[in-house]
Amino acid sequence: MSVAWAIARKDMRIYYLKPNIIVSGIFFPLFMFLAFAIGKNTPPSSLIPGLISITLLFSASSIEPVSIPIERRVKTFERLLSAPISLHSLVSGESLSGFLYSLGIACLPLAVGVIMFSTPIVHAPALVVSMILTAFCFATLGTLFAAYPTENVGEVMSILNTVRLPLIFISGVFIPISAMPQIGQKIALISPLTYGNDMIEYAYTGKSLFSPLLDIVVLVIFILIFQITANYLYKKFNE
Amino acid sequence: MMFSAELYHVGRKEREKKADELLKKFELYERRNDKAHGFSKGMKRRLTLAMGLVNSPRLLFLDEPTSGLDVQSNLIIRDVVTDLVLEGVTVFLTTHNIEEANIMCDRVAIINKGNIVAIDAPESLKKTIRSVQSIEVSFNHNSADQLDELHRLPMVNDAHKEGDKFKLYTEDPSEVIDAVVAYAHTHNLKVISITTLGPSLEDVFIRLTGLQRAGDGVHAID
Repeated sequence: MSVAWAIARKDMRIYYLKPNIIVSGIFFPLFMFLAFAIGKNTPPSSLIPGLISITLLFSASSIEPVSIPIERRVKTFERLLSAPISLHSLVSGESLSGFLYSLGIACLPLAVGVIMFSTPIVHAPALVVSMILTAFCFATLGTLFAAYPTENVGEVMSILNTVRLPLIFISGVFIPISAMPQIGQKIALISPLTYGNDMIEYAYTGKSLFSPLLDIVVLVIFILIFQITANYLYKKFNE
Repeated sequence: MMFSAELYHVGRKEREKKADELLKKFELYERRNDKAHGFSKGMKRRLTLAMGLVNSPRLLFLDEPTSGLDVQSNLIIRDVVTDLVLEGVTVFLTTHNIEEANIMCDRVAIINKGNIVAIDAPESLKKTIRSVQSIEVSFNHNSADQLDELHRLPMVNDAHKEGDKFKLYTEDPSEVIDAVVAYAHTHNLKVISITTLGPSLEDVFIRLTGLQRAGDGVHAID
């Protein structure tokens, strides 16, 4: 755990203020959200849960797809691989940096909701749990995609965006799942953002499509799937 | 360095103490707060070595540690490696600089086309080719004809120009010294320096790997 923390701190120092991370982690979700939310006849305060969800998605999964290809290029990733640390510690450490970044960034829309729009939070513990699980889920997703053996940040981001962008449309962020066609509702079930967003909605409104317990269980399952797959891919691509 | 130490599970107090010690040893202490991005090649290499030593390894592998570095960095790295060996650390070093292997290593393995062709102490390796002795001479004035003329002196088997010096290979150094002095007198030259040399490790390397000098160049024998 101490090694994972050391790796996370290293990423924080080097990558948190990198321009491409700020753009893809903060500005991109914000402007994407504004592009689709503005013009709708809904009170701004009701948009906060969706904004938190996609901020968590983009910011959590933006660190590793930048840091790991860069480190491959400058050969410092080899140093991590040759150090006496487990692959699990390496993957966890990389995910941890994305997780912490995402939680910090997601506090911005949260604060905006509370301070500017007086958006009420009905279940604060549910909000904390949902943000933590959603952040960790997408941080692990970012680490998973960064396993692709390339030194080119753009390559990883392109592949990752083919997954991230559709997720924001099929997970109930802009269109409620209940309002989607049947096929859309079925597809929504395989998106981790569906459950993260659902639980954040519950925290703000007291209402949700699924029970909070189901949301938690599914998010944990996704985290485990991403973590195990990431461990396997890092081992396979770095043998 | 702190990060490297953490990866090797070095405790906090120990890594701070070790980092200070290594930064001073590698003459990087004054730059400890600067970003490594702005370091020269030699400084970066020294820093990399320092990071490799932060966990006090008992066995160290160095792949051409001084290759392409400035003189100061070379000297510092060689001194550090020598000190490590004195402390009982086993150091495996790869180098293309044969003189470096000669002065730094207790044992040398010569590898040719992926195979170890010899492995022994440098002086023991040199003794295997006693016949390769040489005279190294430098005159006050060099000309294009001198190499051929020196090559034609009696008892000279081979001659090469190395910078401002001529290296004459022979089995009878004393005879060649007489011939060189006579040559200098005949051509109104002054002998600046004259040295008798036993076989060098480079000579051993050339003999064992089948390389052959051709004039002033070297070409491989396939």
